[in-house]
Amino acid sequence: MPAGEPVLSVRGLSACFRTDLGVVTAVDDVSFDLSAGETLAIVGESGCGKTVTSKSIMRLLPERNSFLSDQSRIIYHNRPRRRAAAKDRLPPGEIELAHADAPTMHHVRGARIAMIFQEPMTSLNPVFTIGWQLDEALKYHTDLSRRGRRRRAVEMLRLVEIANPEQRIHEYPHQLSGGMRQRVMIALALCCEPDVLIADEPTTALDVTIQAQILDLMAGLKARLGTAIMFITHNLGVVAQFADRVLVMYAGRVIESGPVRDIFHRPQHPYTRALLDSIPRAGNRHRGRPLATIEGIVPSLLNLPGGCKFADRCPRRRENCVEREPALEPGPDGRPVRCYYPHHEPRVAEPGGRT
Amino acid sequence: MLTGLKRAWESRAARKFRRNRMAVAALAVIALYLAVGLWVLSVDGLKALGDSTGWWNVRSAPLVDALSTEQAGAVVGPLEEPGFGIKPRPEERLTAVKARLDDLGKAFRLRARGGEDREARIRAALAEINYGAVRVADRPVEELRAQWEAVKRQYDTIAESPNLDRDPAALPALRDLEAATAALFTEPGGVRGFLQDFRLSLGTDRQGRSIMVKAVYSIKVAIQIGLVVAIVATLLGALLGAAGAFFGGWVDYFVVWLYSTLSSLPDLVLLGVLVFMFTGSVFDDVNRPYLSLVPLYVAMCLTFWIGPCRIIRGEVLKIKELEYVQAATAIGFSRLYVLIRHALPNTLHLMFINFSLLFIAAIKNEVVLSFLGLGVKSGTSWGLMIQESTQQVINGFYWQIGAATAFMFVLVLAFNILSDALQDAFDPKHVG
Repeated sequence: MPAGEPVLSVRGLSACFRTDLGVVTAVDDVSFDLSAGETLAIVGESGCGKTVTSKSIMRLLPERNSFLSDQSRIIYHNRPRRRAAAKDRLPPGEIELAHADAPTMHHVRGARIAMIFQEPMTSLNPVFTIGWQLDEALKYHTDLSRRGRRRRAVEMLRLVEIANPEQRIHEYPHQLSGGMRQRVMIALALCCEPDVLIADEPTTALDVTIQAQILDLMAGLKARLGTAIMFITHNLGVVAQFADRVLVMYAGRVIESGPVRDIFHRPQHPYTRALLDSIPRAGNRHRGRPLATIEGIVPSLLNLPGGCKFADRCPRRRENCVEREPALEPGPDGRPVRCYYPHHEPRVAEPGGRT
Repeated sequence: MLTGLKRAWESRAARKFRRNRMAVAALAVIALYLAVGLWVLSVDGLKALGDSTGWWNVRSAPLVDALSTEQAGAVVGPLEEPGFGIKPRPEERLTAVKARLDDLGKAFRLRARGGEDREARIRAALAEINYGAVRVADRPVEELRAQWEAVKRQYDTIAESPNLDRDPAALPALRDLEAATAALFTEPGGVRGFLQDFRLSLGTDRQGRSIMVKAVYSIKVAIQIGLVVAIVATLLGALLGAAGAFFGGWVDYFVVWLYSTLSSLPDLVLLGVLVFMFTGSVFDDVNRPYLSLVPLYVAMCLTFWIGPCRIIRGEVLKIKELEYVQAATAIGFSRLYVLIRHALPNTLHLMFINFSLLFIAAIKNEVVLSFLGLGVKSGTSWGLMIQESTQQVINGFYWQIGAATAFMFVLVLAFNILSDALQDAFDPKHVG
């Protein structure tokens, strides 16, 4: 697939939850495109809707108490391409996922859009060997023979740099370390050659050295397989290292987006800037000064303020900020930003190092 | 398959289990019980097959035929004789002799009717008499009759003795009488003799049936009931509970409503009602003994699924929130597939524990129900044996209740030890 063409287009995605206190819109009008071979990072603090966005795309939100709005469009661009014996039952062209039926989703999930979860310790089924679990996914999505599936499973484990894959496929998840389990999860997600990989905080539960290995591995795999990666994190160091484009979310809304260099060098939204300023860094430039923080807390989704959602924490707030919410419009830099008074000047600090 | 077995044999849990001597012994006992149960079942099957096709008459092979439904109901000796070769009291020994002499006397008193050959009729009647493998001696009728009359006179002299216990001459005379009576019959030798000893080893019941054969035969009944009820109830409970927890909504409401309603009724009352419901139906037919256990199965399965259902519902409620279930959904599997292939296998340990608990509970319930007259009606089971022995216990005859209780006790104890050991061996929290 040529790079640069979108594989996934999200338009006006709103995810709502029915609660005892009324309907809560956890993700409000989120739109973005994901191109082949691109890494899109979604950043924001806890509860800003990152995970809900990713689960909405996979349609993994519980149907009992949540729904996507009628205007939500999640379009997967299905282009014919050579796959390893895939059971291709999806029609070519645009496939709308936000309101797709279950059979369509069963073909899309795993085969076209795969997902890695945050907690590698519980993401693998403890009663089956990892070989069994890889085989199961391959059996479901490909026409490979038994031997072919086994060969592919071993190949995938080798690809994610697990030593002795021939022996390892007979092992159970509890025999593997956290980092190895996450590698197996990546193998499991990539074994059917998906176009999009959604990684929901894949390194948060791992220790720092393993985090770096996993990130290097994912970057390498992206380059080799041309998979688009949607990367969800609150770790800006990881974003600087790994992402091509960044989507900053706050209170369920996109507040700024753009290429990673621009976001780090010329953040327009006061929230983005405050977020970058709050990264502790090595060197004696900041010694003796307290770490910059953002005052206040994220507003409750049940009781959102009328105007800009960041207004009561914002240092650049003026009267009209609390009256009407700003739209996501091109800012001084040309990149979309949701602010009446965005920053014009570049930020002095360098992008954060790997953390 | 073979590598899988090898892996299982060498696994940590299996090694831990093998170190536990009691558990291995319990496993051996259970295996023995299962083997006996299967043996009885297959002998009955062979018999039915032989009777309908004429392929092989099992009755010609005494060792194979030793344990079967037919043998469990066969008269093998005097009534209420103690086991272990213990001699009963002199009066009872005299009664036993009299019973056999009377049986012969009935045959000799037969009269020819309408041109029949009287001697042939008597010979046929004599051939009918049997106590297990003990049969009337194969001699001419006249000779046998003379001998019988002599023994009868001998009996009459002893029977006149007012007090057998105190008369010093009575005991040797009684011994002579018994020898003379035995001479009227052919004692079996070889395999048949050994089998006769085996049958009398725990004595006989009120109808002269072998307590040993009945007790061993009842293993089949117990295992049949235990296996059927435990398997059906565990699977039913697991499926309902898992489906309720996994799909939630009205499915869950229905499952919870069902088991709450059922469990609000006392178990035994419900079982009694269900068994009464079946009374007089096809399942109560003497000609179809193989159907007689069905009411018990149905009644117990209907009440026993509640336990596993509750436990597995709770476990699946927990499991479905775990990430591997979400991950399985993210791979593209349908919800039903995720439930059956990912959620249910993770409750296997609970199913095993529930299975072993229900197996025992079913066996114990069968005994209780049979004792109350609601369980096994025709045939043999430990419960029926205990019920029969209520009157015997008053008379100081403990062989039947002792045998039934001991057989049941060993099985239940072995199962408890085994499930305990399995829990220890497989519990991941007690590694080492």
